Amino acid sequence: MIRRCLCAVAIVIAWLVILGWSARLAWNTPPFPHDRLTLDANAFHVVMGAGVEDGNALRVGSVGDDGNALQTISLDHVKAADFPILRYHFDGFPQTLEVSLVFRRADKPADVQAVTIPWAGNGWTSLDLRTIPTWTGEIVELGFAEYATPQLVPPSIAFHPFRFDSAELWSPSWRGGLAALYTSWFGYTPWALLSVSALGAAVATAETPALMPSLVCGVFLSLLLAAVLLRWPRRTWIGASAVAALGLWITLDIGWLADLHAKHDLTENLYAGKSWQDRERLVPDQETAQAAEQIKTFLSTQPSQRILVASDANYTMLRLSYLLLPLNVAPMSPTLGAAGNVTLPEDCLFVLYENSHWNYDAASGALIADNRTIPVTPLFETGDLHLYRLRSATR
Amino acid sequence: MSLFLAWFLPVVAGTASWLIVNPRRTAGWLSAAFGHGIVFGMLITAAATSLFARNDTQHAMRSAGSALAIFAALASIVAWRRMRAVPIDSVEPIRAVRTNRVVSFFLAIAFVSIAWRLWIALREILLRPTFPWDAWDAWAVKSKAWFMLGHYVPFVAMKDWIATSGPDSFTGVAWSYPSTLGWIQVWFASAAGGWVEPIVNLPWFALWIGLLFAHYGQWRALGLSVTRARVAIYLFASLPLITVHVALAGYADLWVAAVFGFAVLAWMRWLRERDRGQLFVFVCCVLLLPLLKLEGAVWLLLFAIVAVFAALRRPWRKYVALACAALLLIGLALGKLILPLLTLGWVHVAPHTIEVPVLGPLAIAWHSGAFGGTLRTLFEQPNWNLLWWVAPVIVVARWRELRDQESLRLLACLLVICIAFLMFLFLFTDAARFAESFTAINRLVMHVVPALITMLALLLRDAVLPEFPGTAPASDPRSNPA
Repeated sequence: MIRRCLCAVAIVIAWLVILGWSARLAWNTPPFPHDRLTLDANAFHVVMGAGVEDGNALRVGSVGDDGNALQTISLDHVKAADFPILRYHFDGFPQTLEVSLVFRRADKPADVQAVTIPWAGNGWTSLDLRTIPTWTGEIVELGFAEYATPQLVPPSIAFHPFRFDSAELWSPSWRGGLAALYTSWFGYTPWALLSVSALGAAVATAETPALMPSLVCGVFLSLLLAAVLLRWPRRTWIGASAVAALGLWITLDIGWLADLHAKHDLTENLYAGKSWQDRERLVPDQETAQAAEQIKTFLSTQPSQRILVASDANYTMLRLSYLLLPLNVAPMSPTLGAAGNVTLPEDCLFVLYENSHWNYDAASGALIADNRTIPVTPLFETGDLHLYRLRSATR
Repeated sequence: MSLFLAWFLPVVAGTASWLIVNPRRTAGWLSAAFGHGIVFGMLITAAATSLFARNDTQHAMRSAGSALAIFAALASIVAWRRMRAVPIDSVEPIRAVRTNRVVSFFLAIAFVSIAWRLWIALREILLRPTFPWDAWDAWAVKSKAWFMLGHYVPFVAMKDWIATSGPDSFTGVAWSYPSTLGWIQVWFASAAGGWVEPIVNLPWFALWIGLLFAHYGQWRALGLSVTRARVAIYLFASLPLITVHVALAGYADLWVAAVFGFAVLAWMRWLRERDRGQLFVFVCCVLLLPLLKLEGAVWLLLFAIVAVFAALRRPWRKYVALACAALLLIGLALGKLILPLLTLGWVHVAPHTIEVPVLGPLAIAWHSGAFGGTLRTLFEQPNWNLLWWVAPVIVVARWRELRDQESLRLLACLLVICIAFLMFLFLFTDAARFAESFTAINRLVMHVVPALITMLALLLRDAVLPEFPGTAPASDPRSNPA
């Protein structure tokens, strides 16, 4: 009996050590925070979007013209090192939005630091700010920015009103550290373009020790302690290890299933109950899709031509190329780079969208970049979208 | 109706084709036939579409469908006749245990969880426009262009497109990628009557089902008990990144993984049973790999090396291996090592660079950052659950089985070479950036994962596990076709 009690105590201590190490806590870290800086939401200023006070909270009712909402509060030179834990409480925060922590430091007041932080679901969310390299010095302003989850959620249907209740900065403590660890391990992460290549936190908490190695170490240590203290024979140890491995696999699978379900909830919210024609328009890059439609409409009566597409962002350029299909499109800079100094065929068109690399010189009537001048005639222009036709063969 | 036919014809054609070459009703034959049938059926459909629907892609169901229907009907007749001629038998007696209630209960929960993730993946595909980057940037470009144009157009290199080709040729960043999956998408777009991305991406869901059924059936035929095969299927289906590639459909990697896994299963059965049907499946699968993705050419080469090595008489193996290693080293030292890769061309390997056609030169140098990325992706991120933690433990624990069974030794040899190739690629070449950014390493690792699970399952086939109360010897599995 004594051995079993001793074993239980040893296992509990082992898990505490592993959890403390994962949460970067020292043995002498206090269990509860000595200092708490409470920031009621009604003290925040609405910088972008619209919000109204609701008691101590702030109801955010709309985003600004650029699709962002931003609330900030001035701080009296708070030392970042003294407050490594951030906690924030939102109510009804939509799954369609992403949230960023925005802050300014006293040493660089003109620079705004913005870091994507874990999704603010209902209730408190905690974050270990030591994972953010720029959280140093003295903080003079802090805020939260909300916007449609990039490359995932169509901006036109992203925003739903929510209530921002409160934020807190905590001094180091076991409670705060473990709460941040919990968010890091079990917090919701939406689908991302990286998801087909790797799963895992892509936000600020990425530097936190991962769940799997911690669990594996914990289970292995527990088995080892049990084997030594309870004097397990080899066969019992092997059997227990097999059962523990299977149990751990199932535990991780349950966690993955919960994550998958949460990810899928967003898909259901965005697309369920809509026809394919509606869903086809609800792409995350709706403006790019509109630009593609405009070009297609403009060229619908023209004979087939080769179209070279340029945009500052690789993602936008490739998306526009895909959305322009079945037009005969190619990325502009790589194609011209691969072609060298060959004469461009006379049927070439050039689409510049959200582009600053290629410049149109009206005086010479040419597109200029990369020591290359291409004589063109403007055909179509609206906002960030420009369409040109090659004026004559060029080198 | 056209959507029903679009699925019915490939499944019948594929299943019948499988049964023609594998008419024996061994343990798991039904599952293996259905699973392989789905996947091979879609690949046969791709071939039919590319042959018969080039000039009228929007009506591929009509132009290729009739040819596919005739093939499916004839194949079914031949399969039926072949099956009638072969008696029901079992390859080898299977030492199994009858599943007790506790195990049955947990297995039932496991299968509910598989059904749940299948449902989520299906809903994701049916609801969402094509989402992942390479799905729309690379794999759906040709199929969308061909379908929306109404006919096939060639895709050429960018410099040829702008310099010499007429306006009827297309290009893109993935112009050199194989077109097999594109033709499958054309077939389903034709069935949908338009470029409806959820319908076009549905084959990835069917692929997953086929992958699981085929592995279950072949594992049973290879001697796994019903319980162990089902546990292995749960472990396989619960790998997160596999689910992701179904839910966020559009990448070719799961196809390569499936066909690589099928090749290994058929190879294992050929090595154990000398069944020529399995040898035929093995050869077909290996030859298919480069037609799915360019990396498949590397797998084909490595498969060929190990398969030829396996076919050698034992006394010769040592000498041939030494001679090949010497030739490789001399070629490498002289900078004149040339390797043939189907669909890619000749790869020139020198001490400091590798010249790969299409990809260009890759400098050889150690990338320490990529080492950390590789460890994180295999052991830290949730991509593979505990697979990479558990695999070495099982190999060590079952070392004797690995040493004593030639087929397992050869499979381990193949996997070691494949994993060594991946490690070389991601740690010693410019591809290291894909390991540091986690962008490609897991997708290439995925190619060998089904084969790795097959090896682990076979290693544990006869492992003595703790007995549960109520466990009793199994009835003869020959009577169970499941």
